[in-house]
Amino acid sequence: MISLSLALLLLSQNFTHRGFVESRATLYPETAVNDSSHAVGETQLRYEGFYKPRFDFQIAGAIDLRTDTHGQTERNWRFDWKDRERQRPLVSLRRLSTRYHHGGFTLETGKQFVRWGRTDIVNPTDRFAPRDYMTVVDNDFLGIDAVRGTYERGSNTVDVVWSPRLTPSRVPLINQRWFVAPGPIPALTIERNIPEGSQSGIRWSHAGLVEFAASYYSGFSHVPSYEPIPGRPAVREFYPEQRMIGGDIAVPLRWLSIKTEAGYFMSGDSRSNEHVLYVVQLERQSGEWFFVGGYGGDVVTRWGTQSGDFNPDRGLTRTILARAGYTIDPSRSIAFETAVRDNGHGAWAKSEYSQAFGDHWRLTAGFSLIQGKSSDFLGQYRRNSHGLIAVKYSF
Amino acid sequence: MNRYFFRVGPSYVFSLVVILLAGIPALAQDPRTIVEESQKRSASSSQRYEGTLRVVDAKSKVTEKRWQFDRIGSHGDSKSVLRFQAPAEVKGVALLVVNHPDRSSDQWMWTPAIARERRIAMQDRSTRFFGTDFSFEDLEERDTDQFDFRLLGEEAIDGAACWKIESRPKKTKISQYTHSHVWIRKDNHVVAQIENYKKTALVRKAKYTDIRQVQNLWTAQTIEMTDVSRNSRTVLRIEKLQYNLPMKDEDFTLQAIKR
Repeated sequence: MISLSLALLLLSQNFTHRGFVESRATLYPETAVNDSSHAVGETQLRYEGFYKPRFDFQIAGAIDLRTDTHGQTERNWRFDWKDRERQRPLVSLRRLSTRYHHGGFTLETGKQFVRWGRTDIVNPTDRFAPRDYMTVVDNDFLGIDAVRGTYERGSNTVDVVWSPRLTPSRVPLINQRWFVAPGPIPALTIERNIPEGSQSGIRWSHAGLVEFAASYYSGFSHVPSYEPIPGRPAVREFYPEQRMIGGDIAVPLRWLSIKTEAGYFMSGDSRSNEHVLYVVQLERQSGEWFFVGGYGGDVVTRWGTQSGDFNPDRGLTRTILARAGYTIDPSRSIAFETAVRDNGHGAWAKSEYSQAFGDHWRLTAGFSLIQGKSSDFLGQYRRNSHGLIAVKYSF
Repeated sequence: MNRYFFRVGPSYVFSLVVILLAGIPALAQDPRTIVEESQKRSASSSQRYEGTLRVVDAKSKVTEKRWQFDRIGSHGDSKSVLRFQAPAEVKGVALLVVNHPDRSSDQWMWTPAIARERRIAMQDRSTRFFGTDFSFEDLEERDTDQFDFRLLGEEAIDGAACWKIESRPKKTKISQYTHSHVWIRKDNHVVAQIENYKKTALVRKAKYTDIRQVQNLWTAQTIEMTDVSRNSRTVLRIEKLQYNLPMKDEDFTLQAIKR
């Protein structure tokens, strides 16, 4: 009966779906202190379905099935909704939400994706967007549980988001190369404290010739901070309370577009830094080329007492960022991306070639080079330069 | 009076069609009047079609794409949403075009894989649209008041007598093209061909064929766009075309393309 209902649903004209299967191999020429492997294989199936029983109502769902050769994914068949475990779940619910709209009002409830901000490489105001940072330089977004109301009138939109709980970003595993240890890792216990409070935020955006937005967020940082626990060989991993006031603006000029985004981060938690994170970006598309270049900056206004944190957004500040893409023909493209510290202590460069075969297949091959000092966020990954080859079947 | 002149593109199909086979008024010898009359006769409150695109590059390699196109509103003051249905890896990608009577259109692209919309800046409008031979500018509607027209003469296209008209953007108008040549059929006022130039160089050429009547509106069912410098062409086949469907403004917004 269930399969009959499912079959009828799939045949319905109100049902659409898409997805992909991707297998990728990442090859590391060097070993790391805590990881002797040279190759990691991963396979992922993503399936997304959209059912629209009425013109004003939609149910959207997506699941991910994964496995890998490196223990990054759990091995047990546990269905995961919360995305709070350290390993990637074998089967996870990526999205399940209902969306209702009436006039300019849209209400979406459930597990969903909320993206704020306008710049491309670093987004200071994108506070409801935790990521899977298992491979730091090649990350993916995680959905959050939320109720989101959007009201659009003319060229103005107000977006209100409430999330009952924090979905933390997934950080590198301690026994793998993207968790960088200066030497052999001592027998430390990491006590993880994920706060149970809610998050909320509001964003007003204007879409005109000049586009701009102002946003406010109150909740928690989705990336962790760390502090030692006195008297014990243990470290506390915590997610400090955080408030953010920010904005973004895009100004099209005759030859290029300027985009800038900034956020001022405050916290009632004295362990946490207070700081301003900003990005200025220039963008141009010319012929088959696409260029983005910019600078990310960070100004600390109050130093917290924490020992350290894992914060890729801040890790990519005081950095010159650039991205370029070239479309060779409708099925082939190349892309380049780089981040260079303004003090020269860290650099990352990535090049990628991608080719589609027929309507469904795509092959991607690339190489990422990372250089720098161990004290630098980028430089600490200098043993993680890698080659990548991926085959993707989209349906 | 209808004041809008359309560039080459899917919406163009609908804007430059003719409904009457009756004689052309004598005053139609004025080029602006010819263009306006052509658009007046193609007027509809909304339209929808499924487009199949075959992109043939210089080495004769063929790629196919498919999109659904919806439009609401009157010429030059309309909104349209173009949503890809194939190939699979771009399924769901959408382009919202909001046309304005007094300035260039606003365009936004929605990419579901990254859950972000991106405004297509003015200086980027000459770029090819998603690997086809249409540029972003070709997808927008243009106000006839922003162009000067000149009747160049009469020529036959595929055996049909046509007026050949030069359209040139006024100084205030931002366009990748310095001028265009438009052939409008005398028998039914449908556009038969357009050539777009940068100075003296022919950049793109669009040919309109398979002209049929749909809900009393003469419409080209096939557009072949050629990118002269790349020696590639895109053939757009219009399928399941419908006019004057009940559509709502609220389905043509930035929020709507995310649905």
